[in-house]
Amino acid sequence: MTTYQRSAAPTPDSPPQPNRRRLRIPIGGAATAIVVATALLFLVSWLVEPQSVRHSSLLGMLPFAAVLAIVAVGQTLVVQQGGIDLSVPGMISLTVVIMTRYPNGDSGKLPMALVFAFGAALAAGVLTGLLVSRVGITAIVTTLGVNALLYGAVLQISGGTPRTTTEALHDFGSGRVLGIPTTVPIAVAITAIVAVAVKRTVAGRRFEGVGASNSGARAAGLVVRRYQLSAYVGATVLYCAAGVLLAGVVSTPSAFQGDSYLLPSVAAVVLGGTSLLGGRGSVAASAVAALFLSQLDQLLLTSGVSNAAQNLVEAGALVVGLAIYSVPWRRVRRSLQDRSPGRSAAVAPQ
Amino acid sequence: MRLGGKLRAALIVGAICALVVAGCGGDDSGDGGAASGKPVAGAPSWCGSKKITLALTDGFGANNWRRITRAEAADEAKKCPSVTEYKYADGQGNTQKAISDLKGMVAQGVNAVVVFPDAGKAMLPALRDSYKAGVVTVPYRVDPGGKAGEDYDYFISTDFKEAGKLWGEWLKKALPKGGNVINLGGPAANSQSLDEYAGMKEVLADRPDIKFIGQTPYHVTNWDPAETQKVVTAVLAKYPQIDAITTDFGAALASSFSAFDQAGRKIPAVATEDANVLACDWKKRQKDNPEFKLFTVDSQNWMSRTAVQFAVAKATGGQVPSSPVVPQKAFEDSLSKKPNPVTCDPSLSGDAFLSSHLTKDQIKAALAQ
Repeated sequence: MTTYQRSAAPTPDSPPQPNRRRLRIPIGGAATAIVVATALLFLVSWLVEPQSVRHSSLLGMLPFAAVLAIVAVGQTLVVQQGGIDLSVPGMISLTVVIMTRYPNGDSGKLPMALVFAFGAALAAGVLTGLLVSRVGITAIVTTLGVNALLYGAVLQISGGTPRTTTEALHDFGSGRVLGIPTTVPIAVAITAIVAVAVKRTVAGRRFEGVGASNSGARAAGLVVRRYQLSAYVGATVLYCAAGVLLAGVVSTPSAFQGDSYLLPSVAAVVLGGTSLLGGRGSVAASAVAALFLSQLDQLLLTSGVSNAAQNLVEAGALVVGLAIYSVPWRRVRRSLQDRSPGRSAAVAPQ
Repeated sequence: MRLGGKLRAALIVGAICALVVAGCGGDDSGDGGAASGKPVAGAPSWCGSKKITLALTDGFGANNWRRITRAEAADEAKKCPSVTEYKYADGQGNTQKAISDLKGMVAQGVNAVVVFPDAGKAMLPALRDSYKAGVVTVPYRVDPGGKAGEDYDYFISTDFKEAGKLWGEWLKKALPKGGNVINLGGPAANSQSLDEYAGMKEVLADRPDIKFIGQTPYHVTNWDPAETQKVVTAVLAKYPQIDAITTDFGAALASSFSAFDQAGRKIPAVATEDANVLACDWKKRQKDNPEFKLFTVDSQNWMSRTAVQFAVAKATGGQVPSSPVVPQKAFEDSLSKKPNPVTCDPSLSGDAFLSSHLTKDQIKAALAQ
């Protein structure tokens, strides 16, 4: 996919590329691209289906966008370490079940439920992180297994049915601050904290460095597995935070409420411009991409197109996003120019 | 689960012989005729005197509907003393496991098996094997294809079109001046939601003033509360006038009432399946929101009882009930209060079904498992 980010030496059949750096889309560029795309989407929504950007519509869409944004931030951390986290559905569902089943309508038990939920998240994160970083099992296998374990816990605790959310949690989840759903400032704050931690602290820069090149980081004296472990623990805690909010937003959740977050979380990471091969990325761009995907969903629902068309458009957006970041456009253009008639005539004698 | 070929064959032969002795050979056609044998005194007429082992294999057992349905089946089996042993297996949503569960039960020598064939036609070969092995085989609710009397003994079905007709008839009363109706359904192209819509269209044919707006036959919600909330937000934004909502998952709709609050809109008339949380929400909101009229059809958890009756009757030599079709029934109506007024039980959890035939304690026990 995005081989240009990792390939160290030019391939024998390609000319030397003194300006290779330009092939990379700088992080600022990736964030700009998704911000521009999101702004355009809102403009299109306003032109095509003005109802989809009405106040009530936005109030309905934003809490889900906020939840997805937090999940996407977590997924970005894992992807930056060259992994992928398939335990998203299990962790979110487990959190929703703990947050509704344990208090069972009694808001006074919420603090304990929070302790249990985050405790479970830490345990799952440490387990995944250790299996990937110490034992060396690939992320895709480990997280798939952990997801199954988490779903086992979901069924064990809930028997398939969580309870109705407590009033306090529902009021919090569907509440507003200055007219904005409470979940939005929370998602913004979480994204900002993680973004600053990754981009502006020494540990954060090393974290990205480890993701970009394990061997390079090891040569520089960094303990690679410690950073990998932190990615999984951080991500799982973020999924848990998202699950807590989701339990508040949806007042009668199902036991499998996390199921619909796996693909969108990866899609948000891809649209945000983070390479699926690891390394540099932007959690802020992933969060914006989560807003993009949520609004796209809302626009399609409001426009009343068929379910099939909705799926096609969403898949199309993902393909375009992938293509923008993954295809080495300069190389494509050059090869097209090479094949143009004028050029081919010029090189014909050789 | 697999037993040795000889042992298995012996068991199968044994089971067939036992059935022949009881006077109800496995090749009996499923015509609903009573088998010979006398009902046990003090037990229901479908309970014959021959001692049997009964099994229930579920395609998927882990949600509130299934838990209550399973408890109803167990409760019904208890009524017949001839059922000496009752076994249960949960396919956990895995077709392979559901098939091997059923085969395992046959191998263990059960005399009758009630099957929830979630996987539909994929379950047919296993059902046929069970039937051919002489085990009384009764699938219910999900159509496995095939024919009663050839592939299994009876298929206990229900007609979701009837639920749609009940909703349609009620909409006529709830919307005397006509109005706009939004229909919400499950996953795309699922037969239940399609049948319900067809039923409504049929009875509303003479009322062109009651119009379905938005997506028809239904808005896809995947029976997921979060997705339902998104869909409701979208339709509220798009349509300034919504007079009624019909849906086959009432609890998920209750979860989206906050979308109405956010949009500053009143909840309109609702026709759906019963759910405790929905009834309790109705009680809370009816004073400030009189437009919220509510009609529910029975959630039919007790359908498993009918399946048990057929299976036990045939296997024990009791009197086989007359109809394998379970009717759709109205449960709550906030307008006529018939057959029941809206019934909320705050002592039960929101995911309880009050249309269940279990006692309150049994419901609690079933959901607490």
